[in-house]
Amino acid sequence: MDTFLQLTASGIALGSVYAMVALGFVLVFKSTDVLNFAHGEFLMLGSFLALTFLVEWNLNIVFAIVAIAFIVAALGVALHYGIMKPLVGQPLFSVVLVTIGIAIVIRAFLLMTYGPLERGRILALPQGQLDIGNLVIPYVDIILFLVSSAAVVIFYIFFKSTTIGLQMRAVAENLEAAAAMGVSPNKVFAVSWGIGALMAGVAGVMYGNFTAVIDLNLAAIGLRAFPAAMIGGLDSVEGAILGGLIVGVSEQLAAGYFGGDFRDVVAFGLMFVVLMVRPYGFFGTKDLIRV
Amino acid sequence: MAVQILNESTEPTPGLLDVNNLEVVYNDSVVALRGVSITVPEGGFVSVLGTNGAGKTTLIRAITSLLFVHKGKIRDGEIELRGKRIAGSDSAKIVKAGICQVPEGRMLFPSLTVEENLRIGSSSRRNRAEINSDIERMFDLFPQIASRRKDVAGWLSGGEQQMVAVGRALMARPALLICDELSLGLAPQIVHTLFELLKQINQDEGTSILLIEQNARMALQYSKYAYILETGRVVLDGPSDVLESNEDVQEFYLGGAGEAAEAYATIKHYKKRKRWLL
Repeated sequence: MDTFLQLTASGIALGSVYAMVALGFVLVFKSTDVLNFAHGEFLMLGSFLALTFLVEWNLNIVFAIVAIAFIVAALGVALHYGIMKPLVGQPLFSVVLVTIGIAIVIRAFLLMTYGPLERGRILALPQGQLDIGNLVIPYVDIILFLVSSAAVVIFYIFFKSTTIGLQMRAVAENLEAAAAMGVSPNKVFAVSWGIGALMAGVAGVMYGNFTAVIDLNLAAIGLRAFPAAMIGGLDSVEGAILGGLIVGVSEQLAAGYFGGDFRDVVAFGLMFVVLMVRPYGFFGTKDLIRV
Repeated sequence: MAVQILNESTEPTPGLLDVNNLEVVYNDSVVALRGVSITVPEGGFVSVLGTNGAGKTTLIRAITSLLFVHKGKIRDGEIELRGKRIAGSDSAKIVKAGICQVPEGRMLFPSLTVEENLRIGSSSRRNRAEINSDIERMFDLFPQIASRRKDVAGWLSGGEQQMVAVGRALMARPALLICDELSLGLAPQIVHTLFELLKQINQDEGTSILLIEQNARMALQYSKYAYILETGRVVLDGPSDVLESNEDVQEFYLGGAGEAAEAYATIKHYKKRKRWLL
């Protein structure tokens, strides 16, 4: 039982990061209809920028998070206007390939800047731990959970109660009707890309404090957003949060009981099972693909 | 008779909205409009009639710059709002300039609440206090939907949804309100209520109205001027009361009390041979 609780606790911490990553992924898909395969690279970019800001320059962590969030969000907006905008309305296939291209470019940029060597994890957060009975929870896990939850809650409020959030939901539902009512789809797309990238970037900073090593394989964490999003429903914000937590917890449990190699198997295996029963995920829309 | 009407309308009168010789193609191949010209005067109430596939909705998409959604393009002609060219500019700018529509099939956002749907209509505006008071005004205008303001729009009945759609368009405070097939699929009583409301908005607030309709009887009754569109061309236009008494219009659009109505077979035969070209 103690092992179970211990694993669940760290799973929730990890899952909250996944939730944040999946949220960004789902948001971009929901409003722009683009599956962003560069999402993991946004996260990796966040981690590497955190290396520079926190390890090399020794900056304050709060300042670093804000600065990195800003940089990555700006990159997302720039990507929309520079690359994605002319592709609006093009077949999904070519658009998705473009995001893979973006992923490769970001990866190459990181390789050239930081070199191929792996780095140790960032130690910018308090390193102690909290003992509750037999349960040991590192401060890092708690902070991870708090920051991710805050990011998710702030986003949720933004999405549900601001004008631009309302416009995002309207565009996601019916682009033509939204445009007919004077909503500028491009502005909404740009904001979605910005927030999506921001979520990944901040998750990258947090994950850099959690993972064992930082290297160019970190983008694979971004791919965890995929099962998380699929389990929750590809077009559901609530689903992304739930899916992230489910994937995080089940991954930690699997790693704890069966060994670390089972992480990926469980995340994607769970996705297969859920999709077999509910092909549109827990909260997804049934007829997702529209013309 | 018809010839006389056409001669009257060839005099160009500058209006709020001027569409000149508009030609629209879809997919670079299908021509949907061929040289369509219509005018909506300041404070006017104009209807465009036509059967399915006549190009009515295409005309609206062109005016509101929404052709891009359907891979359509303006190949020729001009659209002017108060003398300023608007053809091809951003759809959001056109709403801001004063044209807003009630789209065909309502196109509400079904998972947004009634109030949120109305709020989306004000996307081109900034003043929050004014927007909020306008939302209350819409609930005064449509008491039926006031009690359902927090309900998701997809749950409303067809008539209520159409009211939300009209309210949503009015939230933009348009100088020109375009209604595409307002009467489609609605009970006659609700259609009557909505048309009366349009008349009231037109008279009290001076909002110009462009009505796109299949229900020719209602449209001619309420509008002051009408155009008849067929396979992408304006085939007839004139003051609504004149059109209403026109024999051809009566026969083809008003369910015909003409001579040919005697036998169904003769109507069909006559229809086949009849051409509008004059």
